[in-house]
Amino acid sequence: MDLAPGTPTNRAVLCRALREASDHARPVRISGGGTGGRRGLIASEPAEVISTMEFDRIVAHEPADLVATVEAGVPVRELQRTLGEHAQTWIQAPDIDGATVGGLLSRAASSHRRLRYGAIRDSLLQVVMVTGDGRLVHAGGKTVKGVAGYDIPRLVVGAHGTLGVLVEVTLKLWPLPSSTAWFSAEGPTHHVAAIGEQARHHLHQPASVLLSPDRLDIELIGPPDDLVAPMGMHLSTAPPVFGGPATVELGVSPAVLPQLASDLAECGFAFQAQLGVGICTIAIATLDELRDVRAMAIAAGGHAVILDAPDALRADPWGPAPAGLAIMRRLKNSFDPAGILNRGQFLGDRTGAL
Amino acid sequence: MSTVITASAIDRFRHVVGPERVLTAALERLVYARDGSMNQGNCGLAVLCDTTAEIAECMKVAAEFDLPIVPRGSGTSLAGSAIPLDGSVVISVARMRRVLSIDPETPCAWVEPGVLNLDLTAAVTHLGLHYAPDPSSQAACSIGGNVATNAGGPHCLASGVTAQHILGMELVLPDGQILQLGGPAPDPAGYDLRGFVVGGEGTLGIVTKVCVKLTRNPPVVRTLLIDFTSLTAAGAAVRDIIAKGVIPAAMEMMDRTMTRAVEAFVHAGLPVDAAAVLLVEVDGTEAQVSEHTRVVEDICRESGASHIRVAADEAERALFWKARKNAFGACARIAPNYYLHDCVVPRTRLVEVLAAIEHIAARHDLVIMNVFHAGDGNLHPLISFDRRDEEQVTRVLQAGREIIEVCMRVGGTLSGEHGIGMEKRDFMPLQFNAHDLDAQARSREAFDPTGRMNPRKVLPSGSKCGELSFPHDHLPEGTWI
Repeated sequence: MDLAPGTPTNRAVLCRALREASDHARPVRISGGGTGGRRGLIASEPAEVISTMEFDRIVAHEPADLVATVEAGVPVRELQRTLGEHAQTWIQAPDIDGATVGGLLSRAASSHRRLRYGAIRDSLLQVVMVTGDGRLVHAGGKTVKGVAGYDIPRLVVGAHGTLGVLVEVTLKLWPLPSSTAWFSAEGPTHHVAAIGEQARHHLHQPASVLLSPDRLDIELIGPPDDLVAPMGMHLSTAPPVFGGPATVELGVSPAVLPQLASDLAECGFAFQAQLGVGICTIAIATLDELRDVRAMAIAAGGHAVILDAPDALRADPWGPAPAGLAIMRRLKNSFDPAGILNRGQFLGDRTGAL
Repeated sequence: MSTVITASAIDRFRHVVGPERVLTAALERLVYARDGSMNQGNCGLAVLCDTTAEIAECMKVAAEFDLPIVPRGSGTSLAGSAIPLDGSVVISVARMRRVLSIDPETPCAWVEPGVLNLDLTAAVTHLGLHYAPDPSSQAACSIGGNVATNAGGPHCLASGVTAQHILGMELVLPDGQILQLGGPAPDPAGYDLRGFVVGGEGTLGIVTKVCVKLTRNPPVVRTLLIDFTSLTAAGAAVRDIIAKGVIPAAMEMMDRTMTRAVEAFVHAGLPVDAAAVLLVEVDGTEAQVSEHTRVVEDICRESGASHIRVAADEAERALFWKARKNAFGACARIAPNYYLHDCVVPRTRLVEVLAAIEHIAARHDLVIMNVFHAGDGNLHPLISFDRRDEEQVTRVLQAGREIIEVCMRVGGTLSGEHGIGMEKRDFMPLQFNAHDLDAQARSREAFDPTGRMNPRKVLPSGSKCGELSFPHDHLPEGTWI
């Protein structure tokens, strides 16, 4: 039902397109690599699609500075290839074929190494964006550290394109790890969860501690001398990327995640929990299962959002209204006064609770 | 917005917190009119709060009487962020100093905003944990103030600035509403308001509780003090260490003038004849530390380091850090006042910027000392002067502006960790254009539509163009955004 895609070739064209759409209150859907999955509310009206794929230049990479400035439509794999030639990497980004830099930031998708290296939002230094009404705005700075002005870059990460269209970002990079190793352990979930917690507390900065039903995987990064199997584990390979026809992401305190994961295993759910981070991705098949896992998350002081699911499961993809919704609405209004960007998809439910 | 605090408003504040915690005497107000910067403000009234409920009530009183509010922690801001202007009401959180809960499993802690940075680490040391951001003022500055400025510190090179260590907060809005933003559960749906409030410099509300991420102590730490015969050589070493893919826990530099001032004060045995001293700390496992130490030592020698001293024990390490962290205080030996800048430049441009600063000092016949976070390019050129000498003050301000302009020209940022406050406010147009400033002004308004929170800070006047509308009636049914 969406209208033919427009692929602006430069900033001026994009500004004009958005200004016009805004003037006529025409909804606009923003698209990148199209790998973001089916998330958010189902759009109830046709929209003009604007693609960022023409913004595809790696503008600057200063290896000695560990900083890169890239356009939002650059595929993450292409960026990582270029950085890899200089033994560097955008370490907070997940490795998703076809995903764009802007797309990953818009949905705040962090890599499995978040435990050690932090969330993707911590890697964004500067953003250049076009607001819903066609204003070109820069925020942040190109240096690795900076507190000049309000942190608009943090707002746009995870905003699902509702505040503006990202055109260019400056990213903080890391040296490419010279040696890494995966270790795993099999056994009852609560048992391997305990091994994982033990490792998390006693190893120095493990990159990743992943718990699945009856299985634990740990990635270590460091000099070869440090890559030894933690107690109760054996050398292994990277676990397969977790997925499924419908997935939900839970966010809970890392302190309660091992217990919650054991409960999920007992209920028969397939999942992958990032111990120490507090994120757990769960495969679901029905609305009842969504309701159940969300209830478990809320009871544990957390939340659950749909990452990817067919229409039938997306009546309430975001869960209860977050704190500060009135501020969020005013922010939305200040960046996109006509409310055209990804209208009707971000936050809310079909019942119109607010 | 009213700048007159009436007797009935004062009575209302007294009713909320009790008469002894509402400061009205001229001398008391004078204390709250200053912070760590060189600016002088004008405090109309200071209210010392003990609880979130008191702050919320005070915010409501201020709203009712249309009074401007300036939140205050320890008042150590180096940019004038904590200074009240035009007789604002200062709300101090300095008495709110409890560590509310510690969760060693996550690990994280909920603390009140008046808790001092170093006290927080002291409270979790027995668990083998620490709070990573460590501004030089950490013995005096509060966590609330750290959140307000998005504070940094030497160890932010590898571990990141305050924003990366704040999991959540309780925020009282200017209308008295209390919000909890974030917490130990990551990534709640919606915009990252938590992240936005960090660095908000008290213009978005008052933070009344903070959930801080705690970090496990590294198993091995090695601290090296390296002296160079030229600033250029030291700058080159910093650049090459980063380029080699080694990010030390901290990498700090001091020039000769600063080293001498500090040594006379701290007596750490610093090499007072060196043109530049580099303090490098590497941490991690024994294997990591050995590998990184070797790289640092090799590069420094290649760059012409004349001597490398490794801290033999924790006491010597502490002495090195005492020297570094007391640098600003030591400057009083040179001149009674200093004007401090906080620009960040790309690490690859460090050497040329340091040379340019040297020229600026010579041209204006001023003493400019450098002590800074070399590893992330965060300069702290410190211009010594005597404020009683008006002609000198003029030269100081001109030199400060020229330093900022040099940093901007090489792609730098106005502030790395001190914030904008009022001292750097009017330089904002050097980094941001009218559209950028307008977007910031509108974002600020989303939290404080009345403009009463820490007015005239961060953004220069006239930043906002046009008025906002709040239509929202076009939202599809069932959606909130």
